[in-house]
Amino acid sequence: MGLSRREFIKRTAALTAASYVGMNLPFSNEESAHAADADTWHKGTCRLCGSGCRLELGVKNGKAVALRGIPESRTNKGYLCMKGMLFYKLMGDNHPERLKKPLYRAKKDQPFKEISWDEALDIAAKEFAKAVKKYGNDSVAYYGSGQALTEETYIFQKVMRGGLQTNNVEGNPRLCMASAVGGYITSFGADEPIGSYTNFERASCFFIIGSNTAEAHPVLFRRIMRRKLDNKDTVKVINADPRVSPTSRIADLHLQFEPGTDLALLNAMAYVILEERLYDEDFITNYAVFRMGKEKKQVDFNQYKAFVKDYSPEKVAKICGGNITPEKIKKAARWFAKSEGTMSIWTMGINQRKRGVWANNLIHNLHILTGQLCKPGADSFSLTGQPNACGGVREGGGLCHILPAHRLVKKDKLRHEVEKLWGIPEGRIPPKPGYHTVAMFEAVNQGKIKAIWINCTSPAQSLPNCDKYRKGMKREDVFMVVTDIFPTKTTELANLILPTAFIFEKTGVYGCTERRSQLTVKAVDAPGEAKPEVWIVREWALRLAKELNDPVIKKCVEPFLGKEPDYALPKAIWDEYTQKLTKGRDNDLRGATYEVLEQLPDGVQWPAPTKEWALKGGTDIKFVRGLDPLADKHAKNDLPYQFYGPAHPDKKLWIWLRPQKGPEEMPDSEYPFYLSTGRIIDHWHTSSMTGRIVELMRANPYAYVEINPKDAEKLGIKPGDMVEVVSRRGRNVLPAKVYVGPCEGMVFVYWHDQDEERMINRVTKDAFDPGSKEPEFKICACRIKKVSGPKPLKPFLVQMKA
Amino acid sequence: MKGQIFRLCLLIFTIAIALPYAATAKGGHPELSDQEKLTPCAQCHKEATPDIYKEWYDSVHGIANVKCFQCHGTYEDLKTSPDETSCAACHNAQYMKRPQNKKCWECHPAHHFFIHK
Repeated sequence: MGLSRREFIKRTAALTAASYVGMNLPFSNEESAHAADADTWHKGTCRLCGSGCRLELGVKNGKAVALRGIPESRTNKGYLCMKGMLFYKLMGDNHPERLKKPLYRAKKDQPFKEISWDEALDIAAKEFAKAVKKYGNDSVAYYGSGQALTEETYIFQKVMRGGLQTNNVEGNPRLCMASAVGGYITSFGADEPIGSYTNFERASCFFIIGSNTAEAHPVLFRRIMRRKLDNKDTVKVINADPRVSPTSRIADLHLQFEPGTDLALLNAMAYVILEERLYDEDFITNYAVFRMGKEKKQVDFNQYKAFVKDYSPEKVAKICGGNITPEKIKKAARWFAKSEGTMSIWTMGINQRKRGVWANNLIHNLHILTGQLCKPGADSFSLTGQPNACGGVREGGGLCHILPAHRLVKKDKLRHEVEKLWGIPEGRIPPKPGYHTVAMFEAVNQGKIKAIWINCTSPAQSLPNCDKYRKGMKREDVFMVVTDIFPTKTTELANLILPTAFIFEKTGVYGCTERRSQLTVKAVDAPGEAKPEVWIVREWALRLAKELNDPVIKKCVEPFLGKEPDYALPKAIWDEYTQKLTKGRDNDLRGATYEVLEQLPDGVQWPAPTKEWALKGGTDIKFVRGLDPLADKHAKNDLPYQFYGPAHPDKKLWIWLRPQKGPEEMPDSEYPFYLSTGRIIDHWHTSSMTGRIVELMRANPYAYVEINPKDAEKLGIKPGDMVEVVSRRGRNVLPAKVYVGPCEGMVFVYWHDQDEERMINRVTKDAFDPGSKEPEFKICACRIKKVSGPKPLKPFLVQMKA
Repeated sequence: MKGQIFRLCLLIFTIAIALPYAATAKGGHPELSDQEKLTPCAQCHKEATPDIYKEWYDSVHGIANVKCFQCHGTYEDLKTSPDETSCAACHNAQYMKRPQNKKCWECHPAHHFFIHK
């Protein structure tokens, strides 16, 4: 359905004549560097997804000039995607739009003016102290990021909790993987995947559901593709998604269900597994129990069978719609159960759902039922979208309900343990969890939060239904600090913008999807006066201690005083976190010192309690005796697998009875389409970084709305036509891409575009999972209408107004 | 009739020879407007060079979404024949031990990228 060449040339010619003469792109193209020109190469981790690709930065005369993959790395085996190849163009003085000086304005309608760091830190401390004194400790908040280094998240949350005595510590991982956390904890008793990327080369069946791996995790997709291409007949790939995507190219079976019917589909696969006796009775007997409801009531196998009876393939095929037939469900279930090793992979299609935790549980159910866990190639593996959502936020205590090393805030014993390890008075950390993300920005809307620090993320664009929350961020009585490297939709609403160092301009650890912590050491200088966050937080905390006359705040950063910020300071923070906080926890990282991490081409998978174990790379598969040192340590019997996860006192895997549950908002006569959103390979998140790399911006300069050809025909929409997408919350106008991607009755929009007309989170819905509090970005109802033929469009990025 | 065919052939031949040299920009690419420069390479090349597009699309690079600009650069630094260091971004181990007298694509044909010719 693409444009013919003639039509394309005709249209672009017309558009050019209309208004593009002399148009300037919002970036300059740097001289292309040649990798061979580099003087030195420096090991580090890619910044632009959660795969954890290891790469080397080429530096010439102190300037970043190239990036190349590290072939020995166990994450990417040397491969990079286009983002990983090119992000050196954002480093140091390579990019003219980097933030280089602290910027301040007392009122949000004023222009920013440059100020010194001393002034900036004083203002930040005074404003937070003022809010605490006048409105209490919970009137301040930190909203962080799965892109911050572990050291950064750790020190921020330590100062907020131990210093300012609030658990208002949140971060954007709430928006992407909170449901995966909920799923792992409720099904396996422990967060994060059991296995590793090594299963890509060992699996015989891939069940990819709710993930466009080819675009969101391209280098991991390459490994799956290689496995499939090398074993065309013996390795099966099932892709379950309402949208046909580039991932579908390697699929043997595509299950295209209507949005929101995934839970029924997963229960129907369980039905087939039970009906055809494809389950592993020994595995279930040895390792699993069945549970249901809020009370986690234990039930027996027969009750589970009775529950699943309601999900026959024949019945579910009708619920699922799309291309689903009973035969396809049966085929998928058989491949899943019978393969030598089945690996499930998912991301936001599962997590960003009203019942995302349940959807996670139902995938885990299939693995537990069939014993597709812990053996080679078998894994229930959630892919993470950000480079340090796992390492920094899940493990480092970056959410409102968790403390470092998988400790729950609400557990007195664990909270007091942390207070003791920090050397602060018992009772200093409040027992009540803080606001989760949607509640936090609702509290901003209501004026309950008076000072908020937003670090390394852009909620003004990335929150669902973002116009609603931008209203709060615009309030004059809400003081907002934003730390970032470029202007964003969120810096537009700030009082104080603090320029930070980018990766390779500072030192620290990222922990990727497969429990692997990897170090990046500073290799180039940050531009202008940009600083590492760890320095910013330390200096801010010292000022806070004075403002509030509270020595405990100073105590929180005392171990880090006097350390130079480029290496010694983050190392001291990492040492405290790993040696003290992770000791004896399931993510024990004591072996993964900077010294060890620097010796490895990649990094260390926890648990890694000793240096010797860490130097071997750590633990490839959790819970397996002989492979996981903690499985041996916690062994209660002679069984080969020991599920010692801290959340399940019975040390069992839990198979959950979870019913089908549709989305919060269903299409109706007024809003007859499903709207779903997602990524495109060339851009990442809000495109504040990738949009500033000319190759990437040109490859996808604006968001499109993808429309199924049958729907387009009914509505008279042709490729390139401008289409209005309207929900109960907001409106976008986007160019149409007409192709057999989304199923009929569904449209799909990329979410990276910063242009107000094409910023799709103005349209999405902020309903959230009651368990994980993760919003249902993936489904809401909308209507679409052609508003005009093709129109001239410009790529757009927020620029800093002087 | 024969004369007409000859004249037609001559015309086609002349156009075929002349076309690539008409309004060429850096790297030998035809001049493009700013708007046209915002078009993904493959969108136009699907029609302009369909054979190369198909070879790429069916190759491991095509399946893995390795795009034109990753090897050939963008308009300002376009290279018809890529700099081999762009191969090294992903294939550094092979790049380091390659035969010095051969280009990568002499053994791994461009746009097909078989393991070996």
